[in-house]
Amino acid sequence: MIKPIQNIFTKKAPEGFHFDDKEFAELGMKLKKNVSSVFGRSLAIREVDTGSDNSTEIEMVNLTTPHYDIERFGITFVASPRHADALAVTGAVTRNMELALKKTYEATPNPKIVIAVGDDACNGGIFRNSYAVCGGVDKVIPVDLKIPGNPPSPKEILKALLALMEKIKKRS
Amino acid sequence: MQNQEKELREFLKGVPIRLIGCENGNELYANADEASFPTSMKLLNGKGFTLISMFCEEKFNSSRFTLFYVFERELFDDVLVVVRNLKSKKAASVMQIFPSASWYEREIMDGFGIEFEGNPDKRRLFLHEHFPRDFHPLLKSFRNSHIKSNNGNKAEYMFKEISGEGVYQIPVGPVHAGIIEPGHFRFSVIGETIYNLEIRMFYKHRGIEKLAEGKTPEYCVRIAESISGDETAANAAAFCMAVEKISSRTPPMRALQLRTIFLEMERIYSHLGDLAGMAVDVAFPVGASPFFILREKILRENEQLTGSRFMKGIMAIGGLRKDVSEKAIKNLRKFLDAFEHEFEKALDVVYSSPSAIDRLETTGAIKNEIVRPLNITGPAARACGFQKDTRKNHPYGTYSGLKFNIHTSENGDVMSRFNVKAGEIMESVRIIRNTAQNLQKGPILSKARIRDGHCLSLVESPRGQSLHWAHIKHGLVYRYKIRTASFCNWQSIEHAVMGNIVPDFPLINKSLNLSYAGTDL
Repeated sequence: MIKPIQNIFTKKAPEGFHFDDKEFAELGMKLKKNVSSVFGRSLAIREVDTGSDNSTEIEMVNLTTPHYDIERFGITFVASPRHADALAVTGAVTRNMELALKKTYEATPNPKIVIAVGDDACNGGIFRNSYAVCGGVDKVIPVDLKIPGNPPSPKEILKALLALMEKIKKRS
Repeated sequence: MQNQEKELREFLKGVPIRLIGCENGNELYANADEASFPTSMKLLNGKGFTLISMFCEEKFNSSRFTLFYVFERELFDDVLVVVRNLKSKKAASVMQIFPSASWYEREIMDGFGIEFEGNPDKRRLFLHEHFPRDFHPLLKSFRNSHIKSNNGNKAEYMFKEISGEGVYQIPVGPVHAGIIEPGHFRFSVIGETIYNLEIRMFYKHRGIEKLAEGKTPEYCVRIAESISGDETAANAAAFCMAVEKISSRTPPMRALQLRTIFLEMERIYSHLGDLAGMAVDVAFPVGASPFFILREKILRENEQLTGSRFMKGIMAIGGLRKDVSEKAIKNLRKFLDAFEHEFEKALDVVYSSPSAIDRLETTGAIKNEIVRPLNITGPAARACGFQKDTRKNHPYGTYSGLKFNIHTSENGDVMSRFNVKAGEIMESVRIIRNTAQNLQKGPILSKARIRDGHCLSLVESPRGQSLHWAHIKHGLVYRYKIRTASFCNWQSIEHAVMGNIVPDFPLINKSLNLSYAGTDL
């Protein structure tokens, strides 16, 4: 019984951890400014896995964990394509996921951005010529940004998002 | 080892199979006659053998198709491989005797077009509707290339339905709400209680086994690494071990020791993700964050050691592709001391939260009775009290010389799996520390010609036992069969969720931590 009471009043466990990743924080702040000017306030991303080896998913989840905490820069991962500004697609597109990806794309409101995350999503990777895949994401839906890597690290994903925001800003 | 084989031979007396002999150290091969096949299977089941894998190969010998049934039994280090040569494209099913055969038989039906008489489930497994009807990608006559989709045959996949007053279905997936891999779940529920769950997988089927065919074994290491990202080291090591055994080539001690370190690092970060996930799924982010923080630290350590956060590109046939610096090893040892302390603190946060524990206890229990028939493996089996661990049962690498405990629990519920995984993290830390302390100096790669032959290799990945079968012919991969732990354990979830409420499904799913990529191949 003492433990739970202690737990309420003592310092929370995560408070003991300190991160100091200045480069990431600076990049993030820049990204936040850009997201604010391009999207009003925040950028909502829907993640779709169409055949990755799951390491890319782990890195995407990592973006939301305490070290990176990407939400502080105005970027959220949403549960439905209907709430999304952008789709982040991972993995070569398998034949078995082709239809699901098309439907997800159609369910996303216009204007929409498609980001291919990881080598396989960019061009199909080693699965390019397999009977079971269509190829990279751009073989199925139009792609605006490709982030290479096997898998790309959280920092690389963040950098790429920043580059995308700057590109959109220039265009408009 | 010799004694082992003798004992197993003795034990198999009375089963109408012809024992051929032991290969690669611990594979006892036997031939089975078609006429006495069902009897042999029944007798093996009666003697307590578990069917751990089943696969097909074309033109293995003079028969067009050969089926391999791989069995394991407690107390025996050797595995039994029953070879069944088929005279036609039809074979009697064994799923009534070994229920785990159901998925294997459907898999072989898709891949090779072999019909299993007596298996009531004739639905295709990894080939979804748009693949043409008579398409069997693993036949040698099919050259791997893009194929035309079959728009005419869009027959709906029939899910098993239960009906009655108040029963309704909830379809979920393949695209889920979280950042997670795709799969389809069909719940039949009354109110909130789950009465039936049927899963449909293989949305991520990338054709890995076909892709490996005709490639050099060296290139195939890369393919093994792409099976499942967070089991990179385990799968790559398993494939390398198979080729090494075929070529009678033992990696230098230092390489084996470093492999052990990588395999255990992988176990730690994978389990940390699960512990965090379980806390997230009971709406307890305060408990999840410390685990996420520690996982990130492990991923960074991985990068220091191997140059990749997921340890990609380090394994090689005969050892490792590059060495690890003394400095990195020193840092690792220092890191582990701090890690142990932080991990204990993180565990304390969860263990001292009654509301979190309340959600974990009694949820998603796997009954003991299904563990052997479905060949449930890894932490899921150990959480049911089974002393199953490939590192102990079929030791490989440096594991035979290491002292470590198998963590088990009794209840088979989410809480038990949480406890087992937490215990295994601490055990892995001890293994790494011990190995790093005694790390030998010397080369990391032994060079030798790759020989032709075939071999099974078993590893304990973070999710449980994974089995790899490599067959090298004329220096190239002729057949590469992969059966990951997830392939077996996915079938347990349909049982684990019975009687639970739908909102607990994500929690049960997370506690089993199944790889979609590793199942779908």
